[in-house]
Amino acid sequence: MIGLGGNTDTTKTTSYKVVLPFYGYASFAFFIATALLFLSISNIATHYFHPHSLALTHIMALGWGTMMILGASHQLVPVLIEGKLYSNKLAITSFVLAAVGVPLLCYGFYMFDMGWPAKWGGRFVILAIIAYVINVAVSMANSKHENVHAVFVITATLWLLVTAIIGLILVYNFSYPLIRGSSLHYLPLHAHIGVIGWFLLLIMGVGSRLIPMFLISKYNNPKRLWMIYGLVNIGLVAFIFNFLYGHSRLIQMIAILAIATAIMLFGNYCYRSYQQRIRKKVDEQMKVSLLSVLMMLIPVVFLIVILVLLFLSDKENTSMIISYGFIIFFGWITAIILGMTFKTLPFIVWNKVYHQLAGKGKTPNPKDLFNNTVFKYMSVTYIFGFVLFIPGILLNSTIILQAAALLLVITSGLYNWNVIKLLLHKPVST
Amino acid sequence: MNVISNNKLKSTIALAALQNVMDPEIGLNIVDLGLVYQIDFDEPEMKIFCTMTLTTQFCPMGESITSAAKESLKLGFPEYESNIELTFDPPWNHEMISEAGQDFLNEM
Repeated sequence: MIGLGGNTDTTKTTSYKVVLPFYGYASFAFFIATALLFLSISNIATHYFHPHSLALTHIMALGWGTMMILGASHQLVPVLIEGKLYSNKLAITSFVLAAVGVPLLCYGFYMFDMGWPAKWGGRFVILAIIAYVINVAVSMANSKHENVHAVFVITATLWLLVTAIIGLILVYNFSYPLIRGSSLHYLPLHAHIGVIGWFLLLIMGVGSRLIPMFLISKYNNPKRLWMIYGLVNIGLVAFIFNFLYGHSRLIQMIAILAIATAIMLFGNYCYRSYQQRIRKKVDEQMKVSLLSVLMMLIPVVFLIVILVLLFLSDKENTSMIISYGFIIFFGWITAIILGMTFKTLPFIVWNKVYHQLAGKGKTPNPKDLFNNTVFKYMSVTYIFGFVLFIPGILLNSTIILQAAALLLVITSGLYNWNVIKLLLHKPVST
Repeated sequence: MNVISNNKLKSTIALAALQNVMDPEIGLNIVDLGLVYQIDFDEPEMKIFCTMTLTTQFCPMGESITSAAKESLKLGFPEYESNIELTFDPPWNHEMISEAGQDFLNEM
């Protein structure tokens, strides 16, 4: 029954040196984003194409969301594909390129200077993504263990590359007429490929593996995951073709329904994993992560309302569109990162600091390396800040928006406090 | 899950030693978690061979858990050389958790 050919190589995980810089960078970017939100609130609430809104969106999407996901996925891809990460050097290359590219790009947007900062920023980001794509693709090819989670990850990564290429074309379009019409017209295409193709697909692929794993759940349903994968991709491809060639409201609705169905199926997948869990107690970090699954549905509802309003009045509702973007980046994506950071980072740090001491004496538990009380306060300020922001935008109330933004600044401050505490952890024996 | 061994008596001592090794994420020891499959003793060579698994391949804590298992066996049997063989055949699943482990997870 038991294979005697043991393989200690399967214990070799990605080096912490590769992963930790991504976590540190992303945490700092989150703080910068919330500070910018607070300081530029009146500009950001005006229009989604305002330079400060563009800068903020890209700090959140690239500096915070993508950097954090890239970092965590260098650690998690080996778990998903059941094989080693191909190259640590490529991972570091990817980090350096993105670390240089993201601030340049965001500076370009903030100053609305589509000259060299935005162009070089975009080029560096694309090169970073290419390095990541190669690393994941070769790791998968070497592993030969195909599974649905890995397919989610590689497809999401390719969508990220498509998003970044479109983004760079839009930047170039300010200097050279590469495409018909203004860059503003193509913004929904760029944004939705990024949000659905990259963030949604990746979070579903990784979440469908990690959530049951952390809950120790009996539930496993790859068939359902394939269905979700198909629905998201069909919905996205239908949306792209309709945007470029069709302009049919029916196809647009079909695309949204396909993606909404996929989200509901994923929510049901997580709920069943929760129901069939063996470990009864669910920690705070998992609660925040599960909350983010629920939050996936809110943008879908907003999108449907936006389209219905557009259909009825033929005029864009700016407040609803800004709320929609806010819910995606500060809601769903941020919630899952806030939760999952403290399910992954303490273990990476523990491995770095205590690996040599394993079994030789008492060491602290990874969960004790960060302050859980600070985590709880962070969760409370986050939920209040997030919830308060929506009426602030819809009612166009600067006071409510500033109060909400301040709560989010506090959230990012508390988050950074715990991340720094983890990153600077020195060995202690208990 | 029953642990296979060519020496029932000594394997009981080895399992007691391995019960000190915890999976830090779950908070349960590796024996009750069902990660230990087989413990064999090579008496002439004074060697212990422990065949075990992890809850998932490339588990970020894998290296620490196997190192801790090796150290625990060294403590239990200082005169023996301990060897850890890692296998994923069969892969770990929740049915391998012992009754005591199930109770622990229910109470947690």
